[in-house]
Amino acid sequence: MKNTLKTTRRSALKLAAASAALPLVHIRTAGAAGKLSIGFWDHWVPGCNDVMQKHVNAWAEKNKVEVTADFITSSGGKLALTPAAETQAKAGHDIMTLVNWDAVNYAEHLEPVDDLVGKLTTQHGSPTATAAYLGKHKGHWIGVPSSSGTQTKPACARIEWFKKQGLDLQAMYPIKDETNALQDAWTWENFLKYAEAAQKDNLTFALGLGGGQTNSDATDLHGAIFASFGAGLVDANGKSLLKSDGTMACLEYMKKLLKFYPADAVSFDDASNNRALISGKSALIFNPPSAWAVAKRDNIAVASDCWTFPAPKGPKGRYVPTQTFFWSTYNFSKNKTAAKELLEHLMQRPLIEERDIASSGYDLPPYAKLTDFKIWEEVGPPVGTVYNYPIRAAAGQIPSLTASEAPPEVAVQIYNRGIHNQMLARLRDGQTIPQVIAWTQDELDGFTR
Amino acid sequence: MAGSSGIAATMTPPGAGRVPMGMMQRFLQRRSTIAFLLCLPLILLVAGFVIYPAFYAIYLSMLNKKMTAFVGLGNFAFLLKRHTFQLVIFQSCLFAITAVMMKALLGFILAHLMHNIPSTNQKIWRGLLLVPWVIPLALSTLTWWWMFDPSYSAFNWILNQFGLDNVPWLGVGWIARLCTITVNVWFGTPFFMIMYLAALKSVPEQLYEAAAIDGASAVQKLIFVTLPMMRNIISITVLFSLITTFADFDIVRILTGGGPQDMTHVFATYAFQVGIQSGDIPLGAADSLFMFPILAFAAFFVLRGVTQRTKEIAT
Amino acid sequence: MSASTQANSLHRQRQWALYGSYAALAVFVIIFLVPPFYTIITSLKSSAEISAQDGSPWMVKNPSLENFWYLITYSNFQTYYLNSVMITAVTVVVSMVISVLAAFSLSRMGFWGSGVLSTVVFLTYLVPPSLLFIPLFQIVGSLGLINSVWCLILLYPTLAVPFCTWIMIGYFSSIPKELDEAALIDGANYIQILTKIFIPVAMPGIIAATIFAFTVAWGAFLYPLAYLYTSNQMVLTVGIISDLIRGDVFQWGKIMAACLLASLPPIVIYACLMDYYVAGLTAGATKG
Repeated sequence: MKNTLKTTRRSALKLAAASAALPLVHIRTAGAAGKLSIGFWDHWVPGCNDVMQKHVNAWAEKNKVEVTADFITSSGGKLALTPAAETQAKAGHDIMTLVNWDAVNYAEHLEPVDDLVGKLTTQHGSPTATAAYLGKHKGHWIGVPSSSGTQTKPACARIEWFKKQGLDLQAMYPIKDETNALQDAWTWENFLKYAEAAQKDNLTFALGLGGGQTNSDATDLHGAIFASFGAGLVDANGKSLLKSDGTMACLEYMKKLLKFYPADAVSFDDASNNRALISGKSALIFNPPSAWAVAKRDNIAVASDCWTFPAPKGPKGRYVPTQTFFWSTYNFSKNKTAAKELLEHLMQRPLIEERDIASSGYDLPPYAKLTDFKIWEEVGPPVGTVYNYPIRAAAGQIPSLTASEAPPEVAVQIYNRGIHNQMLARLRDGQTIPQVIAWTQDELDGFTR
Repeated sequence: MAGSSGIAATMTPPGAGRVPMGMMQRFLQRRSTIAFLLCLPLILLVAGFVIYPAFYAIYLSMLNKKMTAFVGLGNFAFLLKRHTFQLVIFQSCLFAITAVMMKALLGFILAHLMHNIPSTNQKIWRGLLLVPWVIPLALSTLTWWWMFDPSYSAFNWILNQFGLDNVPWLGVGWIARLCTITVNVWFGTPFFMIMYLAALKSVPEQLYEAAAIDGASAVQKLIFVTLPMMRNIISITVLFSLITTFADFDIVRILTGGGPQDMTHVFATYAFQVGIQSGDIPLGAADSLFMFPILAFAAFFVLRGVTQRTKEIAT
Repeated sequence: MSASTQANSLHRQRQWALYGSYAALAVFVIIFLVPPFYTIITSLKSSAEISAQDGSPWMVKNPSLENFWYLITYSNFQTYYLNSVMITAVTVVVSMVISVLAAFSLSRMGFWGSGVLSTVVFLTYLVPPSLLFIPLFQIVGSLGLINSVWCLILLYPTLAVPFCTWIMIGYFSSIPKELDEAALIDGANYIQILTKIFIPVAMPGIIAATIFAFTVAWGAFLYPLAYLYTSNQMVLTVGIISDLIRGDVFQWGKIMAACLLASLPPIVIYACLMDYYVAGLTAGATKG
């Protein structure tokens, strides 16, 4: 198998050489030719983009396609803005990275990729349930669940500081699958006392309340907290859940927790909590391991004191924030065949694993058979720090997707406007719960326009 | 066409009598025809990319979100009802009026200071003071953003040196509003200074001498000599700046993106968010059209001022 | 005796007023130059130094040019720079041709409706881009020019032409009528009058208008932000913001270096041609 692959590569090279020698004759491989532009997500972990670029270049060279890869940051909502504008304009990249709801959101502009996802399913096993929920529209796959960026946002905290508070993080979530009493005590209610202590020690938990699409870290976290209290905004039939017991209980709880948020929480974006952790100003954040990975480069003392472990649990369970990334091809793309070929190339197991290693285990490939990479156990310092980053069966975590209780077209808007963050920001500013609920109801009414 | 125009009739094109020409040729040689042809690129540009889009905006603003049905003034009514949009109206006015007043005041002070020093030294000072206005606004705003950054704020470092607490510059509504205004004032004051300085220089020295003989104090000179002489320039500059400030996009977009909690959005940034980012073109068009009355009002007076000034110069 | 002391004290008063003015001006200059100063300082810092956060952010401990070197060798940044240069150059040329021709026609020749046209041109100048970008998005889209530098080449002249025409009308009107009448009698045609008399005489105005067109095209932000999406089409203002602000959180040295490099052309032009520059950007409100 390997041998044949090599020969084809070599013959392709020969072909390439031949076509270079005869500039007038364009020899092209099946369907792939001309130009292709991709909007990749700009990876938070330093060095990851380079590996991706390398993978793209290899394919581009082999297939004689001129590929432009743009790495678009998700901070400041730019990754969300780009497809919004491109689908409006019906022009832009050929392949675009879509996060969470956006595949469904732009379904009418996307090319079905059933054949490709079918192939990948035979190779890697079924995509996760969340990926299927978000990536399928009217029975068709409209995006390829991608490893690049697919993540959970568990807690990442300072080991020594928590030890001083009497909690051994490494004992609570060790580098093996187990359940223990410490985990049972790791609840949102108990989380309060740690948050308070951290604020006293000037290591305030860097939890954000940023607006709109700029602070998805916070939106994702608050969705998980809401879910763990059984709270929601609207149900699938459009009925308001704002006055439900779960929502009330959640807001009452948040009133207590919000006191321990950073003073500038409302101006947070997705980089703020990373910065706070890396510069040693925060004892805990909810984030994928990118903050830790950047610290490894810029502030190793902090990095080797970090442990990643699941979120606390609430009355209705232990919910962990997740994000799922897709690669989709626009139906107005002029080079769909080449686009699909490139995507297939990028989603081969060796390439996925190479990128995953480069990302220190950041990327979580959302396929059944791709959960056995060694990187999560091995990478450090401290060794095993991200072992509990993927959702492990023993940890009893439930994936949470903010606003998923609502119908998709409303959920998109709730998510993009960062309604949860805004509700809580208002609550913190001293508005009463009924005032917050009235404001939220007004916003929700606007979404049905 | 303009064949009967008086000027054209008196001015026969040179050499017209020598050779008998064809109709077409003669038509092309006619002064007014040439004049019109020279203006044609301008007319096409303005008609195609300013006047047509302006009317198209009105049409767009009356469609529904999917742009499939006509909804009349529905979008405008919808916007006015929304709490967020009410904030936008308030903030746009606050931003424009406060910033323009600050710029006018600081520009006035600066122009006077500048007028006080010998004109040989003015050039270097003017050069330094104009720097904010030379750097492309989008780029200098990036620096401001970095100086306001919550955890790395260079301003907070200074405050800390004096034992003061950190200020969440862009995190609290009113402070963020002040920050956007500050950046605009920083950028726009040099323009006011230059305009006022030019006006100050045009006030005849004899007027001050006459006032001095009458025993006028500095304040009286300012109120009874300087201000009346500068009135026209001041009003043109203020109105002109009101238009550009009111329609500002760069500062708010880069500095706050409209946040925190929509408390710094102005018409332009909100239109961008609604129209381009959220894909609701008609609502975005309706939003930006709200700027029109205020702009038209200011434009009317600018035009009047400019015509008046032209007359003053002519006489 | 008393008169001379009075004059003396008056003189001293004047002297103090002068010192006071210098002092106040110095304060303003310092405040005004804080952001550019901070841009320079930050551009010389490494990521590690920025993230370390020890010591004053207003000083640089280990200055290095690595950020500048990174940008100069970074192919995307080169693309943005080239695109900016190309678009600006075309915009300037197109705008100047259109506005000089139109201004000549409007100030000297006249045709039916030329008076109205002058007013319309001035009003056009007062229409801000933020009023038109949404309908233009649809129009540019239907021309198939979204995400193409060509849409900027098409749209940027609308930002520059009205104002350039307006100042050129002002300059052309100040040229004595006798001059072109004499030339007409000598058998010159209009194009000759324009190129041989008007353009040379109104050169200061043309330089001012050119600088204005340059500044507008170089610094425009809204149109490229709304209409360009891929990095191979972007210009500097938007490219820096879209590309350099990265998840990798300590890019600020590079961003500031990029701002400096991108501000360089306007600053150089300004330093060399300050008087024209100022005339160009202020004439709109002073010229009649």
